[in-house]
Amino acid sequence: MILISRLGFAAAALLLATSVGRAAEPREIDPAPTAADWAALAKLPDWSGVWTPGVKDQNAQITSNPPPWTPDVATQMADLAAQEKAGHPRGLFIDCLPEGMPSWMLISHNAVEILFTPGRVTLLGESDGSRLRRIYTDGRSHPADPDPSFHGNSIGHWDGETLVVDTVGVLPQSYLAVSEAVGIPNNGDLHVVERIHLAETDTLHDDLEITAPHVLTGPWKTTRIYYRQRAKKYEIIEGECLQGSFKDGVDAKDNAIFVPVPLVDGNPRAQ
Amino acid sequence: MTRSQTIALPLVLLVGLAVPVVPGQAHHSFAMFDPSKATTINGTVKEFQWTNPHVVLWVYAAAKEGETPELWNIELTSPGNLTRIGWTRHSLNPGDKVAVEFAPLRDGTRGGGFRKVTLTDTGQELTGNFQATEKPDLQ
Repeated sequence: MILISRLGFAAAALLLATSVGRAAEPREIDPAPTAADWAALAKLPDWSGVWTPGVKDQNAQITSNPPPWTPDVATQMADLAAQEKAGHPRGLFIDCLPEGMPSWMLISHNAVEILFTPGRVTLLGESDGSRLRRIYTDGRSHPADPDPSFHGNSIGHWDGETLVVDTVGVLPQSYLAVSEAVGIPNNGDLHVVERIHLAETDTLHDDLEITAPHVLTGPWKTTRIYYRQRAKKYEIIEGECLQGSFKDGVDAKDNAIFVPVPLVDGNPRAQ
Repeated sequence: MTRSQTIALPLVLLVGLAVPVVPGQAHHSFAMFDPSKATTINGTVKEFQWTNPHVVLWVYAAAKEGETPELWNIELTSPGNLTRIGWTRHSLNPGDKVAVEFAPLRDGTRGGGFRKVTLTDTGQELTGNFQATEKPDLQ
């Protein structure tokens, strides 16, 4: 009896294994990098150091190179610009959600560093815990239906010494902004193509072509400038956006805790 | 921790809930401050809040001489940006006597965008303009 049971169990296990093996899709993996993969990184251009954005140029382009807004959006932009000029800026990012794509590239005042690892380029930004872009350079395509995210799905390839990045799958709520107070949700179907390259030894250009069919009449081209810093005091430090909404305190048991700071329109206010 | 802090905590929490609270203060425009009306107050540092995305200097100061000192909040840029122009989280400390120059809030409440601080006892000046120069290889 025991023998029959054992035989029966073995047969069932064999059947199960066979059926699973037949039904399973090939397992997709990120293969372990080889020594050659690591060595190949040395042939890429040197983008080490910390990059600080050219904010003066960002501001100049608000008037010199405005996005081709659709008429309805242009009206909304004019209203936001008027509110800012009157001293009542609408805070687009005061909820501490990420600036996301493409606004991070367009309006950030904060430093960024760029890491190369086999099959990937990673952008890490300061001042916002989620300011992170993963750009896959391993030859993959975009997923057919990527889960929308603030920074989207980015794939890249090297065209000589230029990194060409294609980004889709950005949340419709993610802003297309020209300043911290003037911008609009992209409203879906955003597509960004970037050509990132050294314009000079220590100057990086991000040439962006932004297609946002629900808010722009056509593709918008702009170049954003970053300057390389090597002084150690420019090394990126941790930044958590929401931390500014709290200050140090203690609870009744003397534990160190964060205590909310009174805020008005997202800004700390003396009460 | 002092006893007064322990007692004050529930009050702070209540105040925090009583005012219109929008979580976060990220990346806002500085247009809410009026740079054409630069103002200086003389007072005492209550707290130097070294946090992202904006450092906040809390100062007790009288708007006019002879008036009772009240709490002001003066916003600066981020810790990272301040570090690069020589600040540390210990640059200002509770109890420091200071003269603070700032662009006041347009709505008239007690606060503003930081321009300069002078430590009364030492005469040391600290400014907050981290974008005076934009170029590679800054020292």
